[in-house]
Amino acid sequence: MELRKNSGPLKWVLIILVVIFLAVFLLLPLFYIVITALRDGIGGYIASITDPYAIKAALLTIRATIWAVVVNTIFGIAAAWCLTKFAFKGKKVISTFIDLPVTVSPIIAGLIYVLTFGRQSFLYPILDGWGIQIIFAVPGIVLATIFVTFPFISRELIPVLTAQGTDEEEAAALMGAGTFTIFRKVTLPHIKWALLYGIVLCTARAMGEFGAVSVLSGHLRGKTNTLPLYIELLYQGYDFTGAFAASSILVILAIIVLALRVWLERRGNKEAEIHY
Amino acid sequence: MSDNANYVELRGINKHYGSFQASKDINIQIPKGRLVALLGPSGSGKTTILRMIAGLEHPDSGEILIDGKVVNNIPGSERGIGFVFQSYALFRYMTVYDNIAFGLRVKKTPENEIKERVAELLKLINCEGLEKRYPSQLSGGQRQRVAFARALAPNPQILLLDEPFAAIDAKVRLELRTWLREMITQIGITSIFVTHDQDEAIEVADDIIVTNQGRVEQAGTPQELYANPATPFVVQFIGNSIPVKNYDQFQYFARGGPDTVAILRPEFISIFKKGESVQFSRSAEEGVVEDIIFRGSNLEIRVRLHDNLISAIRSINDPFVEVGEVVDVFIYRLFVVDGDRVTMEYNQSLKRESVVI
Ligand SMILES: Nc1ncnc2c1ncn2[C@@H]1O[C@H](COP(=O)(O)OP(=O)(O)OP(=O)(O)O)[C@@H](O)[C@H]1O
Ligand SMILES: [Mg+2]
Repeated sequence: MELRKNSGPLKWVLIILVVIFLAVFLLLPLFYIVITALRDGIGGYIASITDPYAIKAALLTIRATIWAVVVNTIFGIAAAWCLTKFAFKGKKVISTFIDLPVTVSPIIAGLIYVLTFGRQSFLYPILDGWGIQIIFAVPGIVLATIFVTFPFISRELIPVLTAQGTDEEEAAALMGAGTFTIFRKVTLPHIKWALLYGIVLCTARAMGEFGAVSVLSGHLRGKTNTLPLYIELLYQGYDFTGAFAASSILVILAIIVLALRVWLERRGNKEAEIHY
Repeated sequence: MSDNANYVELRGINKHYGSFQASKDINIQIPKGRLVALLGPSGSGKTTILRMIAGLEHPDSGEILIDGKVVNNIPGSERGIGFVFQSYALFRYMTVYDNIAFGLRVKKTPENEIKERVAELLKLINCEGLEKRYPSQLSGGQRQRVAFARALAPNPQILLLDEPFAAIDAKVRLELRTWLREMITQIGITSIFVTHDQDEAIEVADDIIVTNQGRVEQAGTPQELYANPATPFVVQFIGNSIPVKNYDQFQYFARGGPDTVAILRPEFISIFKKGESVQFSRSAEEGVVEDIIFRGSNLEIRVRLHDNLISAIRSINDPFVEVGEVVDVFIYRLFVVDGDRVTMEYNQSLKRESVVI
């Protein structure tokens, strides 16, 4: 009570601090991106973002993102399901390993794959024999993207599934429902919003991934350059307009993702109100 | 082979969770159509037994038989069982209608038959008009009844209920008990329900199976358990039991061994005001009233007798006794627990008088 009464000035100081912080660290750079991207006029901007290499980079980013989302959705559901619905030895270990990509630097993730699939690896001759190239090629980029994003979906699902318990599934199983029916009718409605939310986070992270992808890509312009890599390339070549124009694509994608996230949270909360 | 005597039978069942033994040599026989309570303190393994019958857990050793067939290797969904979970486990994202219809849809029952069956069950559970609601929009009692209807919808042979009244407040619980008993009797389905409330077990069940520390202590009708408790645990657990160490001080009771304990129950004891009873005036002993508790329809009188605080019941129509008053206490009988043995002892003055008369 006391604190709240006397906190008038403190409140405003804190609010102003936060606003200044956001302005300096977020809005200013965003504004700068827009200004720089449009420095050569709207025509220059359009030319930059319709550059064939820019489009190729954007398409590769989207491709890697789709792969990451699809693979991690399946993996995430499977991992969350087995960690929450079954009791088995080594559960803790698996749960810890899932978090690894969050704690390990993406560069290291990239290097691990180079070691695993590169020329010095025993796998290389086998894969090469089948004509599969992973390092410095698209599969490597996809692998790296999957690696850095794989905790996102399972981490969203685990708390929801834990809170729900196993009773409803057991009830359904006792009435003779098969695993797939149980998943579709009982489990999926519970995790729907958490799953979509996880997918959104996974998408955002996949689109922006730089470190691991950078190690594995080989930077072949038009072939293995994702949008973030392409931006860096332009930037290194002092093509600021191009770099910032390409950045603006990522920024727009990020804003869309952010809006989706807010919407999903609202929908999820609203539905939870009915069912809990 | 389908001998009605034992519709559900457990033979020598053992079950471990890790190194902890939750079921120890369980032997149970349940006749067809009976309503049986599994009664025991928390952690005594009641839920474990129920889940093994349902096929949700598997015993380490021993056999489970339903209708004369060993079902150990038959999945729960094919054992003809309806299960009401402790927390109901209603499908939160389905309406009441879809909840009840679930088991029928899984069995690919035609939709018009489902509609009929759901309507019939909704009527049975007095929940007509609630079919479009979600479980969270129901009261505790309604949820319980919907869970009951959902379990019954596919016409199971056996109904298992895990603490069906635990989550419901006291008043509604009493109503639901009666309702459930009537419902089950009406349908005639073999039912096993778990409870740790002895009043509930005694009131609702035909038979009671008392569990303790993973074992079955005794099985029988409420009257049998009450009159002939087989083990010290059952004596203590059933009824309102007061242990008394130095019962040999009581008149007209033989002295037992050094480790024996007597168990008194309020209904074994009568309390009289001085001069109130002619019959027992000579054989009664004197005690002092320490406390009087109003129990609505009667009074519980706590009396200090030979350094033991014992309880007896007096009607509100009897002459009033006061705290501190010296009263006559007559003990008709008591249970004597000697190691694992339980025996009933009667007041010897009763025998003598009956001989005289
Ligand atoms: N999945 C499990 N893993 C390990 N121990 C368990 C498990 N389930 C039950 N137990 C243990 O087995 C014992 C019996 O449990 P059970 O659930 O059958 O008891 P209960 O009689 O139903 O108790 P309550 O009245 O509290 O529900 C308990 O000591 C419990 O801790
Ligand atoms: Mg239990």
